[in-house]
Amino acid sequence: MARESFDKEIQFLRLLSLAGGAYSRQQFAARLGISVHTYDKTLRYLKEMMSTHQQRLPLEQGVELSEGLRYNHYESADPLLLFLFRAKSLKESESVRLSIILGALQGEELTAKETLDRCNETMPVDYPCPDEKTVRGDLKYLEEVGVIIRCAGGRPYRYKAANDLIDQLSDEELMDLYDYVDVMANTQVPSVQGYLLRDTLKKALRKRDYNPDVADTHLYKYHYHSRILDEAHLYTIFRAIRQRKKLRFLYLSPKRAKSYASQNTNPLFERETEGITETLLPLRVVYDHQYGRWYLVGHNARQGTMKFRMEGLTQIEEGESVPEEEFVQKLDKIEEQMKYSWVTDTLRPLKVAVRFYNPDRSGANFVRERVEAQGQWGTITEESDTTFLFEITVNGIYEIKPWLRSFGSSCEVLEPAWLRKEFIAEWKEIQGYYESIRENI
Amino acid sequence: MNPFEKIFNYQVISRLDETGSFALTSQERSWLRTMLEHSASAEAFDSGTLNRLRQLLVDEASTDIREIIVEKAKSRERQVYHPLLRVLRRIIMRREGIRLTYRIKHGGVKTNQSGLPYKLEYSMVKREWYLLWYNTRQHALMSTKLQNVVAVEELEIAADRANVIKDEIVDLLDKRKEQAVIEVNRTYNAELSRILYSFSCFEKTVSYDEESNLYRIHVTCQSDESEFLLSKVRFLGLRVKIVEGEHLKRRMRESAAKALGRYGVGD
Repeated sequence: MARESFDKEIQFLRLLSLAGGAYSRQQFAARLGISVHTYDKTLRYLKEMMSTHQQRLPLEQGVELSEGLRYNHYESADPLLLFLFRAKSLKESESVRLSIILGALQGEELTAKETLDRCNETMPVDYPCPDEKTVRGDLKYLEEVGVIIRCAGGRPYRYKAANDLIDQLSDEELMDLYDYVDVMANTQVPSVQGYLLRDTLKKALRKRDYNPDVADTHLYKYHYHSRILDEAHLYTIFRAIRQRKKLRFLYLSPKRAKSYASQNTNPLFERETEGITETLLPLRVVYDHQYGRWYLVGHNARQGTMKFRMEGLTQIEEGESVPEEEFVQKLDKIEEQMKYSWVTDTLRPLKVAVRFYNPDRSGANFVRERVEAQGQWGTITEESDTTFLFEITVNGIYEIKPWLRSFGSSCEVLEPAWLRKEFIAEWKEIQGYYESIRENI
Repeated sequence: MNPFEKIFNYQVISRLDETGSFALTSQERSWLRTMLEHSASAEAFDSGTLNRLRQLLVDEASTDIREIIVEKAKSRERQVYHPLLRVLRRIIMRREGIRLTYRIKHGGVKTNQSGLPYKLEYSMVKREWYLLWYNTRQHALMSTKLQNVVAVEELEIAADRANVIKDEIVDLLDKRKEQAVIEVNRTYNAELSRILYSFSCFEKTVSYDEESNLYRIHVTCQSDESEFLLSKVRFLGLRVKIVEGEHLKRRMRESAAKALGRYGVGD
């Protein structure tokens, strides 16, 4: 069975969260390469899902989806985009059945037969009662994903919900666990499973009569919320890397205007898509903390080392596997190439030397603190009371340049000379941007 | 592992909520098992709890997906957890006050300051924790690094008094809000995605004028965040320009002039 693809939803949510409010329906649809009708349909579906998922949030969080997703940092650390991972489509009757079965197994151990009886007793009249085979299939699925366990003892097997992680903890311990999950999901990658767990623990706290805002004591400032959308591809890539398998996908460069290509079901009518079909041996994924973006890094027979922004990956499929030696050799090569990558650049390494100026004011030296915290493998040498030197060997200057520039006048490029010249030219132009305000003073 | 399992489906979850039932999957438990290996876990739990958690998770697969992830350009992690988090989160939850002694930026110590704590905030940039609290004597919003807290004790505060302060906090936060409008230089529209990602850590909306093909990013932030916003603008260089926000524009002009001064280029 073909895996359900969430490409459209992912691109849709990304566009909403990044460019929220910028586009009309027509413009939005055009950018995604879909019809206005599909736009409306998708939005309706996302809205329904979001309102079900977020129903207990305070009113202020009732974000108007069509105007984009807006984060109010001071309200809550709830990840709004998490509802993407609640999008797996399911027949109404199946969702009713699964929740009845799981509900029945919360407090007691039941056999398949007993579970079936429970279903028959509690199934709402609008839905057909399941037969034994269906219930056995559901139990098998629930056991596979780990939400129920088969109890010790022989046939007939008894099942119960796998809730020990909650049930075995005291109130205080449960709160510590909630906090830990909240902190780790927010500060570490990957985080989707952590956020899902956080949701459940939050409900568990509420069930123990804690006030709902007990779960809202922590905030995370300067978070890249859309990063969790790219985690949708992470496990597909992980599995392929584990199995040394190639991946085939349609890559839509984020530099293009269109960010989704609808897939025509009839290949006869398939038109040229705007993307490029690529085959790649995946080796690593890179998470860039500067933008909150993910990259897939791998090897392609024709072009060697290649890097793709994960947001551009669509229609991913697994291909054939390669021998272990080949995988190891390619991985070693990439690790060597990326040793000096500020992010993913594999251009020729060069030495960059800059002078940093300590702030004029006394007190905390935030320039020094920032260089120490963010300067990766660069080295610091003392120079004078007011300055220090920073040297780093880095692959190309494109990726480190913005970081250096962000220090403004606290950073002076010394080497290479051409980079120094570039900085002078850029600062002149930037000065030009703000020239007019001088007259206003 | 598949983060799109049907058990995560929103209708299933909302039905489970109605009956107060839980669905805990093995992928969530595996994730937790992996995360408990982080040294932060020692500060987050009593050792008894930590052992029990490890015991509860002992049968979970530990497929560590992190072995394929390379994190780049990350700020050094000063701390993920801080021992005071557990103490302070409980005071906040009980809506009680605090008496705080802490070191200040320019040296020296402030002793026995009383106030109402309202949030614990982690900066993803500085990678450390802050206590956000209201100083009752100065009627001011404070942000204190947990690292700088010397001593803290709980102070009883009447519920109605706490409510009055809470309202004042909301007012003050609102007053401190600043707006800035940042325009994307049309020449760089092809890099729009990167530019928007860059500002996605702020509260913002985007407007687009089709006729002039011009994007504008409307950022709302607290006044003490303007330095960080400026560093983002400088980060992007010629790609963006601040078009609204007098203070920010002035700071950009100063910064450019001063930077040119460093290179011996005067104006």
